[in-house]
Amino acid sequence: MSTSATSVIEIPGNGTSALEAARLTLARDIRLAFRKRGQLVQPLAFFAIVTTLFPLGISPELSRLRDVAPGVLWVAALLSSLLALEFLFRDDAQDGTLEQHVLSGQSLTWLLFAKTVAHWLLTGLPLAVMAPLAALSLGVPVAAVGGIVASVAIGSVALSLIGSVGAALTLGVKRSGALLSLLTLPLSMPVLIFGARATELAIKGEGFAPPLYLLGALAVLGITLAPLAAAAAVRISLE
Amino acid sequence: MSEFLNMGGYAVYVWSSYGLCAIVIAWNIIGARRLLARSREEARRKLAMRGEEA
Amino acid sequence: MAWTWFHRLGSPPYVYGLAVRLTPWFAWSAALCIVAGCFGGLVLAPADYQQGDDFRIIYVHAPSAWMSLMVYTTMAISAAVGLIWRIKVCHAVAAACAPIGASFTLEALVTGSLWGYRMWGTYWEWDPRLTSELILFFLYLGYMGLRSSIDDAQRADRASAVLAVVGVVNVPIIHFSVMWWNSLHQAPSVMQLAAPTMPASMLTPLLLMLLGFTLMFAALLLVRLRGEILSRERSANWIREAVAS
Repeated sequence: MSTSATSVIEIPGNGTSALEAARLTLARDIRLAFRKRGQLVQPLAFFAIVTTLFPLGISPELSRLRDVAPGVLWVAALLSSLLALEFLFRDDAQDGTLEQHVLSGQSLTWLLFAKTVAHWLLTGLPLAVMAPLAALSLGVPVAAVGGIVASVAIGSVALSLIGSVGAALTLGVKRSGALLSLLTLPLSMPVLIFGARATELAIKGEGFAPPLYLLGALAVLGITLAPLAAAAAVRISLE
Repeated sequence: MSEFLNMGGYAVYVWSSYGLCAIVIAWNIIGARRLLARSREEARRKLAMRGEEA
Repeated sequence: MAWTWFHRLGSPPYVYGLAVRLTPWFAWSAALCIVAGCFGGLVLAPADYQQGDDFRIIYVHAPSAWMSLMVYTTMAISAAVGLIWRIKVCHAVAAACAPIGASFTLEALVTGSLWGYRMWGTYWEWDPRLTSELILFFLYLGYMGLRSSIDDAQRADRASAVLAVVGVVNVPIIHFSVMWWNSLHQAPSVMQLAAPTMPASMLTPLLLMLLGFTLMFAALLLVRLRGEILSRERSANWIREAVAS
């Protein structure tokens, strides 16, 4: 209950512009998240654990791990971002803040976009920082780190946006974990394909720009379309 | 005739494919008819209930 | 004139009556095409010089794959129309499509892998077209899963409609990315029978099967649609007559 204490004061009303409302929502979400810092660490810990599973399951030889590193990193990243989706709408849906957003008369699309951006800053970006560490543990050469950070940073934008639609659709569903995965993962497969390819090229020391551009295109497509779909889904879920 | 059934040695694959196709088509036909029957039964029940109330 | 026809299509009793009248036509013409196609494909068409009689699987595999995509598109379009203009009949159409499409996607996957066995020696290879079909199957499962997890019928209709639209936008993206991924790794690809190079005796049964499957989809859809419409019309008086027989 205490986490929602400030929400009543901070919901922008009709007088504020859409952009201002979005900025306020972004700031609020980040501030609230920092009150529960422990929760922020969980997806990252999950990522680390999953990455550790593969050497244990395959072989401790770095040469073999280097070959599977792109796939391992990206599957782990996909699964952790799926886990992190829990935090996107759940708290606000539970304490009624999301309904306030819908009723406030502000553009729901912009508000949800702001929430997704906050979510990415709190989960996707840290993942992009952690990924090179996991990669190094899988025998990836240091020179590949730049490419890995870039691809995970951009790819996680797309993942957060795709995930926001799935999370919005399953708002009313209890124990929606498996359903959310079923909805989100097939749509995330292109991100996995391009991201893993970019990582693979970075490891080999070759130019990884083409798949990176494709990842960027997916991210841009997500930015333009996902908040619209998510807004429609939130309205439907809350009606 | 036996040459036809043998399908040049690929009998298993060709006939399983056609057999599966027949099964899927049958499943669809049966499923559709069952859905319709169930919905009609449901609608009849609801009409009867309302008839009793009125 | 066209506008009144469109308006009538939004009326459940009209569509129901139309479905009752049209189903036999679609059903029987579908049966005719499929029987003729099977006969042509299994008996009349000559064996392929490369694949022998094994290629005859195309006569069930290709129509199934075509169904899987056509049904998903139909589902997405009617879901979008139902969402934007709030037409219940459209949501009924979308709901009716899903199980049909999913079953034929599964059919396409299994027949595809049976066909591929000869060339690969295994029952599965990450062939790009089959991989795309597999992902499409997951999309169908997600759609049906979302529908069944929401209790309120109207909310289920609208939420799954959003999902269908999001899915259909993604289908070309997924297809492109899978093709791209596969081309990088030079994996063996099956099913290289190109239509233009097929002789008429091989092509005609294929076209017959494609037509037959499409007509069959219409017939199946109309029957399921009647069931879906009935379950959405709770207190309408026209139902009395419809279910009387």
